[in-house]
Amino acid sequence: MSLSFSLAHMMGGLMLLCAFALLSQRRLVSMISLYQAEALTLTAAALWQGYAQHSPDLYATALITFAIKAVALPIGLRKMVLRFNLIRAVETVMPIGLAMILGLGLIGIAVLVVLPTTLNEVSLTREDLALSLSVVLLGFLLMAVRRNAVAQVIGFLSTENGLVLAAIGMPGMPFVAEFSVALLVLLAFLVVGVFLFRLREHFDTLDLAGIETIERRGR
Amino acid sequence: MSFPLAAALLPLLAAVPLGLLGTPRQGAMANLLLCGVTFLLTLGVFADPGAGLVHADRLGMLFGALTGFVGLTTAYGNLGFVVASLEALSLRRWRLYHAMFQLVLGACLLGLYADNLGLLWVALEGATIAGTVAVSLTRSASALEAAWKYFILGGVGIALALFGTMLTYLAAQPALGPGLPAMSFSALAAEGAALNGTLLTLAFVFLLFGYGTKAALAPLHGWLPDAYAEGPAPVTTAMSGLTLNVALIALLRFRHVMQEDASAGGGAMQPGPFLLTLGLASLLLAAFSLPRRRDARRFFGFSSIEHSGLAAFAFGIGGAAAIFGGLLHMILHTLVKSALFQALIRAASWRGSAAPGHYAFAHLRGLGGEQKYLGWALAAAMFALTGMPPSGLFASEFIIISQTIQRDPLLSLPLGLGMVLCAVPILRHLGPLLFDAPSKPKPAQARVETGLVALHLLLAFALAFAMPLLLFHLLSGVAAGLK
Repeated sequence: MSLSFSLAHMMGGLMLLCAFALLSQRRLVSMISLYQAEALTLTAAALWQGYAQHSPDLYATALITFAIKAVALPIGLRKMVLRFNLIRAVETVMPIGLAMILGLGLIGIAVLVVLPTTLNEVSLTREDLALSLSVVLLGFLLMAVRRNAVAQVIGFLSTENGLVLAAIGMPGMPFVAEFSVALLVLLAFLVVGVFLFRLREHFDTLDLAGIETIERRGR
Repeated sequence: MSFPLAAALLPLLAAVPLGLLGTPRQGAMANLLLCGVTFLLTLGVFADPGAGLVHADRLGMLFGALTGFVGLTTAYGNLGFVVASLEALSLRRWRLYHAMFQLVLGACLLGLYADNLGLLWVALEGATIAGTVAVSLTRSASALEAAWKYFILGGVGIALALFGTMLTYLAAQPALGPGLPAMSFSALAAEGAALNGTLLTLAFVFLLFGYGTKAALAPLHGWLPDAYAEGPAPVTTAMSGLTLNVALIALLRFRHVMQEDASAGGGAMQPGPFLLTLGLASLLLAAFSLPRRRDARRFFGFSSIEHSGLAAFAFGIGGAAAIFGGLLHMILHTLVKSALFQALIRAASWRGSAAPGHYAFAHLRGLGGEQKYLGWALAAAMFALTGMPPSGLFASEFIIISQTIQRDPLLSLPLGLGMVLCAVPILRHLGPLLFDAPSKPKPAQARVETGLVALHLLLAFALAFAMPLLLFHLLSGVAAGLK
């Protein structure tokens, strides 16, 4: 039992590390690599939870995660980066150091919120939940501090990873959630793919700084 | 197959052929036909509510029928819209447009009929995606910006809601056992007292911000005015107004579960203050934003935020009467707002184009003298939104405010102030709309669309002041069950 705890926690911790490292990266290619590492860790975590909970459903989750998030999406994103020539570093809203301090604060909040409210749960679920909430919040923070559309998408995908990490840690959660998360990622990618293509046409770059025009026109 | 399942599945499945086949006109006709059948199916739900994962409780039945009705009248108005703006979109995008129309309708019905947290979440997620695609259809720079905003904010909301859903499951799982029962609304409500209260509170916060995004409650409302203003009008205004209802009803159901737990001493916090705060914030935000808006669609987008906030406020006050008022308010607002957008689209096409950017109030001046039926129908719908008698909304707002005075007198001050501040900008636009010198007087003719607008308004009036007993019993039964 103790091994299953420590392994699950280690993978959750690795994912958190990846999510945190995403905040520090300014280059899209390395962000994609970090995202890929996060997704691979998630695959391993799902496999391990499937083994520990004796639930074959989770193996399917692991398979979906691996195929779509760890292989297909990073390939697509890399192609996009090459096609639009986005190799250079992207703009950030605030200094990286400040973003990382904010990130630390968010992790603290996640731990302080989750641990006291789940006193009755088994400690595996508790700590998994705290870790996954941290990943989710860091994903949001990443979306907030990057101006680039692809970087925002990566933040969103990292958030999804956090959600799946929470779902696989829930004892006996029906498969519905995992399935729909996978669906969401696929669809989101489709939608986003269309957007990026068109954004390129209209703005000439993938920088969303020009988005304030809508504010001026509306008033 | 039961009626609820059929009503939700028909539009979802029909979206595929609509997206692939047909000219825009054929698409619009097929769309109307499908909406007609769907409306009949939503009426059939009253006879056979079904069982299992997708089954309608009384709340679902009522709002399902409302959704079907608004879908049908919007689809009728859509015929004229398609003819008037045939050039605006390419053939492929028209097909996509009608597919998204059906997807939003189907997702709303699924969200209303689902007795499963996961299914509800999937439905609202589907509605978000369909809405995003619809907003981006015109492909102008501002439409893409609006769609991107919608996608990012909607995505964050959906992610928060999923986390909340999982926490709810975790709170229910010790009492209801692993598996599907711990995700069913009816089981959760029945076992409310046995759930883990602190975890439920945490879940509610996530759900409030998640589904609150979809219900456009402040401070998560940012996507709504842009989405309303930029997409092809019928889908992004009338149809996405329906998703607000789905999100609000989801919040109401979760509130009920939490209230059950709190009053049974399960350790959950009272859900009221959360809803009151967000509701009041939305109302006041709309009150201070409305006077500065010049584009009519954006303006009425903010007005939707106001009414969404009012409903959330009523649910926050709690008690059967306030919830009755909140539900009635949602029904009446849906009828009035969809009528208003129908009239607005007609008015804009009359003045040249129904494309985004042609909806400035300055553009609509003097309509009353020029096209008297249409102008007055639009004015009547706008007046109805203010909530002054004889508008139906007067009745629901009266119930809400009198309940507030009874239960939480101090809150009635900001509530009343917000309502008045929201009504004044609407009234200010009425004069120029009706009485400015008309630019090109032409013989006016009443059209079926104008008749439909009148029908919506009359229905809202009748439901408020001469409510059929059957509906009254249904609605008060629902409210008493949810208090």
